[in-house]
Amino acid sequence: MKVRFWGVRGSIPVPGPSTNRYGGNTSCVEVRPRGAWPIIIDAGTGIRRLGKALMDERFGDGSGTAHILISHTHWDHIQGMPFFSPLYRAGNKLHVFARQRGDTHLQAVFASQTEDPYFPVPLSALEASIEFHELVEGNRFAIDKTLVTCTRLNHPWIAMAYRLDCDGAAVVYCSDTAPFSDILLEHEFISKPPTGEPLPKAIADKLAAMRASLVALCKGADLLIYDTQFTIDEYKLRPHWGHSTPEDAIAIAREAGVKTLCLYHHAPMRSDEAQDAILMAARWSAKSHGDGFNVIAAHEGLELVLGDDDGLAPVVAP
Amino acid sequence: MKIRFWGVRGSIPAPGPDTNRYGGNTSCVSVTTATGHLIILDMGTGLMHLGNHLLASEFGKGRGAATILLSHAHWDHIQGLGFFAPVFIPGNKFELRGHGRSSSMLEGILEGQMNPNFSPLYTLKNLGAAFDVHAIVPGEPFTAGGVRVTAQPNPHGTTTALAFRLDEGAASFVYASDVGYGPDGPTPAVRALYRGADALLHDTTYTPADQARRQSRGFSSYEQAADAAIAAGARRLIAFHYDQDYTDADVDALTAACRAYLDAHGGRAIELIPAAEGLELAL
Repeated sequence: MKVRFWGVRGSIPVPGPSTNRYGGNTSCVEVRPRGAWPIIIDAGTGIRRLGKALMDERFGDGSGTAHILISHTHWDHIQGMPFFSPLYRAGNKLHVFARQRGDTHLQAVFASQTEDPYFPVPLSALEASIEFHELVEGNRFAIDKTLVTCTRLNHPWIAMAYRLDCDGAAVVYCSDTAPFSDILLEHEFISKPPTGEPLPKAIADKLAAMRASLVALCKGADLLIYDTQFTIDEYKLRPHWGHSTPEDAIAIAREAGVKTLCLYHHAPMRSDEAQDAILMAARWSAKSHGDGFNVIAAHEGLELVLGDDDGLAPVVAP
Repeated sequence: MKIRFWGVRGSIPAPGPDTNRYGGNTSCVSVTTATGHLIILDMGTGLMHLGNHLLASEFGKGRGAATILLSHAHWDHIQGLGFFAPVFIPGNKFELRGHGRSSSMLEGILEGQMNPNFSPLYTLKNLGAAFDVHAIVPGEPFTAGGVRVTAQPNPHGTTTALAFRLDEGAASFVYASDVGYGPDGPTPAVRALYRGADALLHDTTYTPADQARRQSRGFSSYEQAADAAIAAGARRLIAFHYDQDYTDADVDALTAACRAYLDAHGGRAIELIPAAEGLELAL
C-alpha cells in the first residue's frame, strides 16, 4: 500500500513562507491499497488537493469510490470536505465513517457544516452519493481487501484511532489525543489544566484501559502516525487541549513494537526550522533509549510504500 | 485611517510556496482610526495573525477594545475567531456588527461555529473577552472610534454580503468583498456607498473567463471590480479575495490585466493596489 500525506497541520491552516516545507494544510492522509480505491483519513484542507488529483482518475468521469475515515469532526479534520471535487460529480460514491454521537447523527453533523449561512452548497445538493457510517470503539470492518479496526482516544468530544491492514502491511492513524496520564477528556468542557492532584482510581483505570487498547491497535504496525502537536512545556500549559508530545508517541511506539513512527498534526505556529528541531530531538530520544524504530515527521507530499507493494503497481482503482 | 491586510484569499486557506507573496490566509483586514481605535473587517484565518500581533498591545493585558465588522457568515469569513488570541483574555471587549436578521440570530451563527461537534471551545461563553453582537441595519450609519460606518448588502450567490464604507474626516475606505452582481451591476444604494471612495477594496476573485464559468458562486471578476471603481470615481482600487487555486503568478497576471482594463476604460487615474498579506496603506 501507499500512504501519502496531503495535510499535516493541526488546529488551523497556516499559509506562509515559514511552513513551506512541512506544509500548512490541516489533516488529511491518503492510504492506497495496491490496485484499490483510496481510503482517506480525515478531511482537513489537505483533502482539496487530493480531490483535484482524484479528478484525474475515474472520479473525473463520475465512476470513483472513496472511503473517508474521520477521526473526529473538529474543524481542522473536516474543513476541506466542501472543497473535495469528487463530491460535485454525479456517479461518484463516497462513504464517510466516524464515531457515533450520543445526541446527533453523523449525517446531521456534516449537514450543519454546509448549511445556510455557513456555506453556499448544502449537503443535499451534492451530486455524488454519500453514505454515512457510524462507528463504535472496537468495530472491525472491511473496505475491499483492507481490514479496518478502531479504538477511542483521549480528546475533547472523543476522537478515533484507525488501523488499516492490507497488502501485508499495517498503518495506524492516531490523531488527536492527549496522553493517558493527567486528564480524561470526554464530553465536558474543561477550561483549565488539572491541578496535579492524583486522579481518582476509576478515571486512572479508564485511561489505562484506553491506552492499553491503543497499544494493542498499534501492535507491530509498519507505520504509526501520531499527534505530536505539543512540546513537553506546551503540554504542561494545555493538557486539557487533547494533544500529545513526541515523547508520548515514542513510548506507545516502543510498547507496540512499530517499525516507523511518524510525527503528525504539527502545531500551527511551528516553523519548518522548529519542526526540524523537534524531529531531531525525537530521533535522539528514541535512539538513546535503544529503540529500533525509525522516527520521521510528516510533510505534505510525503509518500511511503509499505508491505508487498513494489511501488510500481498502478494506483488506479479497479 | 491605517489599513493592514492579514488575509486576502477567498473560500479556503491556500498554503504552499506558490502563495507566499500575496498570502494564503482568508479574509481579514484591520483599520486603525485616527483616535487609535481598531476596526477589524472579517474574521478569516488572517485574524489569528492579527491577534498574535495584538498581544504586544493593550489586548495582551486585557485592556483592549475593538469593533469587528462581519460582511457575512460563510466559513472563510468567520473561521479565525476561535484562534484570535485576544478573545481568550478577560477584560478585552469586542463589539461585533454584522449581517443578520437579528442580533440574536447573528450570535447564534457564531455559537454554531463553536458547537462541540466542531470546536473544543463549545460555546462563545467560554471566550474570556466580552462580546456585544449587533445585527446591522443597511443604510443606518453608526460610529466606531470616530469613524462613520455605513453598510449596504450586495448579492453573493445564494445569500448577500455587506459592503462597508468607513468615513473619517475627508478620508473614505470601502470594503466590498464577496460580490456577485446581477446583470444591472451594483444597486443605486451600493453605487452611492462606493462613490468617491479614496480606496475601494473590491472582490476580484476571478478572471472574466473563470467568473463566467462559475457565475452561481457569487464572486466578481477584475473587470467587474474595475467597472465599479470607474463608475464610483474611486482614487484607488484594491484587488482582494483571490481564488484559492490562483498562484502568485496568476495574481500577478490578474493584476496586470486589471491595470490594462482600467486604462482602456477611462480608469487611467485609478491607482490599482493588489492586496497582499502584510501590506499597509494610510488614507
